[in-house]
Amino acid sequence: MRNFEDDPSLQDLLTDDQLQRLTAGLSALCREPVRIGTDRSDHAVPVEFNLETVGWLSGGGSDDERRAAASLVSFLMMFVAKYRLAANLHHDTTEASYAELQRQNEALRASEARYRELSDQLQEKVDEQVALIKGVQQDLYESAKLRSVGQLAAGVAHEINNPIGFINSNLGVASDYVDELQDLLPDTESNRELLADFRDLITESIDGTRRIARIVADLKTFSSIDQADYTLCDVNDLLRSAAHLLQTNYGHQLEIMEQLAEIPAIPGHPAKLSQTFYNVLDNAAQALRDGDREQADQRIQIKTASNGEEVLIVIQDNGCGIPDDIRSQVFDAFFTTRPVGSGTGLGLTVARDTLHAHRGSIAIDSHEGSGTRITLTLPAH
Amino acid sequence: MADYIAEDNKLTLKVVFYGPALSGKTTNLMQLHTLLNPERKGELMVLETRDDRTLFFDMLPIGLRSGSGLDLRLKLYTVPGQVQHDSTRKAVLSRADGVVFVADSQPSQQDNNANAFGNLEENLEKVGLDIDSLPMAVQFNKRDIPGVVEEPVLQKRWAATPWAPLVMASALQGQGVLETFQVLLDRLYTAVDQEFDLAGTHSIDRDTFIQRLSASHGLHHA
Repeated sequence: MRNFEDDPSLQDLLTDDQLQRLTAGLSALCREPVRIGTDRSDHAVPVEFNLETVGWLSGGGSDDERRAAASLVSFLMMFVAKYRLAANLHHDTTEASYAELQRQNEALRASEARYRELSDQLQEKVDEQVALIKGVQQDLYESAKLRSVGQLAAGVAHEINNPIGFINSNLGVASDYVDELQDLLPDTESNRELLADFRDLITESIDGTRRIARIVADLKTFSSIDQADYTLCDVNDLLRSAAHLLQTNYGHQLEIMEQLAEIPAIPGHPAKLSQTFYNVLDNAAQALRDGDREQADQRIQIKTASNGEEVLIVIQDNGCGIPDDIRSQVFDAFFTTRPVGSGTGLGLTVARDTLHAHRGSIAIDSHEGSGTRITLTLPAH
Repeated sequence: MADYIAEDNKLTLKVVFYGPALSGKTTNLMQLHTLLNPERKGELMVLETRDDRTLFFDMLPIGLRSGSGLDLRLKLYTVPGQVQHDSTRKAVLSRADGVVFVADSQPSQQDNNANAFGNLEENLEKVGLDIDSLPMAVQFNKRDIPGVVEEPVLQKRWAATPWAPLVMASALQGQGVLETFQVLLDRLYTAVDQEFDLAGTHSIDRDTFIQRLSASHGLHHA
């Protein structure tokens, strides 16, 4: 590419038409026609521009005429060249500016790509944080629920224990009074029947208060009102309480078989373990209800065992089982197959998290239509 | 650009007058056009100006022919000093063989001098030239204006640079212009001689180079 400052040739400065008009004009001024060309002929004088000979002028009437004409042409050339130089420089700088703009455009594009990448990473980070917050919220929800259940149980236990105490002792005294009444009343057929019925009423009432007292005790165990966070837990006791509560909830219609072996007390959080056992047992009870078996054939089996290192808890039902296609989802938070409002979808999630917190594990073995076996493993130490 | 065309035995050198706006670059060139009387001198081309400010550039070609027949040309350019004409400055500066930096001696213009000098350094780098190795003369112009920064102050400030000593000038009065040009020619000769062996091949020694290119009407040099 030519630079704006390169010395221009005759063709650069004037077109053929312009050159023709110029020589015609000069010829009219001189006595003989004048020619301008790049070839040097006899008697030709140089046409100079910027110390450069750009052409040769010949013809004319005399040497003086040729010199005068050549000097006039040089004078004209300067103005043509000025315009040409300015135009070339303008062209050069415009091209350079355009190249610079393109370079800046490239740089901008690169920086935009970088920002887009950053923004994508930002989305990932936001997603991560959202997942974290969701997890923490779920934990909070669970612990709040546990606490409120515990507080309710504590309140109920406290309020009920007192009246149950005096009802129970009053019924004992009432029973003695019936004995005394028997001696005082005439021994007639109708009196004997009345007193026998009275005794039955009192005995049934005493049985009722005993059941209430046991439910209260189970609630206390379940919510571990009077236990520290981590303590030595009797897993069998916790299982029994959970099973009793379950029975209460299901109207004592469930067939629960307990095969609880001698196992060591393990360190753990009793309320959370109770909640876990209850959740698994509740799932089993629901599975029985959703299964096809006759009421008489439905059963839940609770087994415990220990090998010294670990405590094994097996809760097995012969209910509906878990379909293969959703088995991978059962531990997912808020996953539930039950109608809206009847389950939180957190039962097994909480169970798994609790087991993990106790360095234990949970395993599911299920066949659709024949039942489910949940195996919980907890370290003994 | 140091453009040597072997078939014509022609060497073209480019010198650029650089500096802040209104420091007198065009005045320097006009004075050289008036004062210089070298063997060959072309027309001073003053391209478009507005309010006396250079928009494109000015150009003065001078030259000599050596005993060996070397056709040596020197093209003297000015650049527009105003900040907004930076791309024009860069285009004119490209392929320069030497630079005359024309600074303004007035105290109020010292910041502009520094900015223009920084701009020169930057643009030289952009066109692939190194300010430390490029032959350059630095002139402080407008010495005729009262209250200018004292010469000893300026000389001391520049003493540690490769461009000391500075040349003081009053271009409007024609003072210091030739001297500045000669300092530049002296430094330019060193670089060109190294590349083209002026003394050996073309029998142009330093003194010939300086004297014949800066011959003035007053001291005509044969």
